[in-house]
Amino acid sequence: MKVKVGIMSFAHLHADSYAHCLLENPSAEFVGIADHDPERARAKAQQYGVQAFESYESLLASDVQAVIICSENARHAQLAQMAAAAGKHILCEKPLMTMLEDGKAMLAAAQGAGVHLFTAFPCRFSPAFQEMKETVASGAIGEVLALRGTNRGVNPGGWFNDPALAGGGAMMDHTVHVADLMRLLTGQEIVEVYAETGNNMYHAGYEDTAMLTLTLQSGVFATLDSSWSRPKRTFPTWGDVTLAVIGTRGIVEMDMFAQYLVHYDERGGRIRQVFWGDNIDYLMIDEFLRVVAGGERQVLATGEDGYKAAAVAIAGYESVRRGEPVAVVY
Amino acid sequence: MGRQHTQAYRQMPDVEVVVVYDRRPERAQAFAQEFGVPIANDFQELLNRCDIVDVCVPTHRHAEYALPAIEAGKAVVSEKPLARTLDECERIVEAVHRHKAIFMPAHVLRFFPEYRTAHFLVKDGAVGTVAAVRMRRGGDYPRAESDWYADFNKSGGVILDLIIHDFDWLLWTLGEAERVYAKALTFRNLDHLDYALVTIRFKNGAIAHVEGVWCDPSGFKVNYEICGDAGMLEYDSTKQVALRTAVRAEGGAGGGVQVPSNPAVNDPYYLELRHFVDCVKAGTTPEITVEDGYNAVRLALAAIESAQTGKVVRL
Repeated sequence: MKVKVGIMSFAHLHADSYAHCLLENPSAEFVGIADHDPERARAKAQQYGVQAFESYESLLASDVQAVIICSENARHAQLAQMAAAAGKHILCEKPLMTMLEDGKAMLAAAQGAGVHLFTAFPCRFSPAFQEMKETVASGAIGEVLALRGTNRGVNPGGWFNDPALAGGGAMMDHTVHVADLMRLLTGQEIVEVYAETGNNMYHAGYEDTAMLTLTLQSGVFATLDSSWSRPKRTFPTWGDVTLAVIGTRGIVEMDMFAQYLVHYDERGGRIRQVFWGDNIDYLMIDEFLRVVAGGERQVLATGEDGYKAAAVAIAGYESVRRGEPVAVVY
Repeated sequence: MGRQHTQAYRQMPDVEVVVVYDRRPERAQAFAQEFGVPIANDFQELLNRCDIVDVCVPTHRHAEYALPAIEAGKAVVSEKPLARTLDECERIVEAVHRHKAIFMPAHVLRFFPEYRTAHFLVKDGAVGTVAAVRMRRGGDYPRAESDWYADFNKSGGVILDLIIHDFDWLLWTLGEAERVYAKALTFRNLDHLDYALVTIRFKNGAIAHVEGVWCDPSGFKVNYEICGDAGMLEYDSTKQVALRTAVRAEGGAGGGVQVPSNPAVNDPYYLELRHFVDCVKAGTTPEITVEDGYNAVRLALAAIESAQTGKVVRL
């Protein structure tokens, strides 16, 4: 039995990747698409050879068992609550929410309806991260003392630059992946955040530069660079996810997307990194399909994981407002 | 560092290393033997016998030697950091001005071509307005005979001793810092292990992240990236290597030592001290001023204070 899945909104760039993953996965039946923008729903449906639904309601009234929400960040809560009310399992793009109240409502809605709510944190599935996690757990580098992470990227533009829809700028977009990896790696919560943000890259009303300092429960400290600091036209790839763990006996450093070859593209007039590593989106969607079909969750991030990571970004904005480190409110 | 500096001076036909002093006679003896330089019995004797004093003692003794040298009318080049405390730094700044001394804190990083080139590219607008800078420096814990690096009161740990290099480069390149926030293992009393992550906000809105590493068993390495609204510069000492030499271990069964290097006509220590000697001969102020030395220590001590108190320190 294939799992029937719909995608709610193609606002987020990752929707295309998830669509491909659904089409390639023999366990999935990609049923169709609904979107705030019916024209986009029609165009994407045609592109992927699936059904275009006129509204979210009509998609949710169909026999899909699960939905993937890829709307603008600020619309996640509304769509997730609609999907939960319709009894559909949910995989929601990150950040789960831009406000704590939204996140709480989403978790409550899923729990109340008895549906799964997962957060799209594909980095958890990276074989490099998995091996790093095992290395740290084995005690090979001793006691964990500090972490250094980055999730730098190019400015995606569009609604990502509208704080009303995105919930902020680079810090809201790029804090959660690595905050999640830090939680997963250490088994500890992030309790305090200090953030410095700037806008010297694009000189606009959102932060394009963000440097967070995080303190974990045990006193382990970390920094996380979530800036859109990669040059848009000339950088050879979209960005990076890196994490270093400093232990009493050694260091492990991961550069998650360093599995690439270099393409000097005469026709395109630029140099590109061509990634040849595993498709972590595929691995994530595959587990989502298995869990919806009744399997056990193994790596997939829960709604609560998404909530906790987003709470760190939200605390970052509070730190910027107050100009000092702040406790993370969950 | 005394040996490194001496090797640089020995390449200069117009400079002679005429005398050495070390408060530990056996160290002075070893140095004298290696370089064929006479030993002074005390510091006053050294001052009587030279024009330039090069201070390469541990950080907590910089002021103790730099001050009398300045007061004796000598030109003085002193290892970084300028001194261990801000009070000592102030006294050195004051003495330099009072005696109109030619003085240079030896922030040699400014003469490393990979850092010097980046500075001038940024100044020339190659990356536009700077938004974010990341700098990393370090390797394993430094070992000295007396193990003075391990004594925070002497060395100031990884922040004051090591990443002050990057702090000076940042102040030189981006201008004044506004505030600093830092986390460090310095006060955890771990055995020969130190690590720091420092975030600095500059008055022009740029944000810098500096990582100081005294806990990486894989050896010394540095990197940086400078991101602006018109481009980005990056350098990684593990990637930009002109020469690698690997020699098979005796017996032929692997385990050889690999040594990466970037050979150059002049090493940065030579370039740094050549600049200083030229200033002494011309009577001009070196491009690294005593105030630069003061400002770098001030920023480093602010970072240490932040790491100690958990608070943002405004400058």
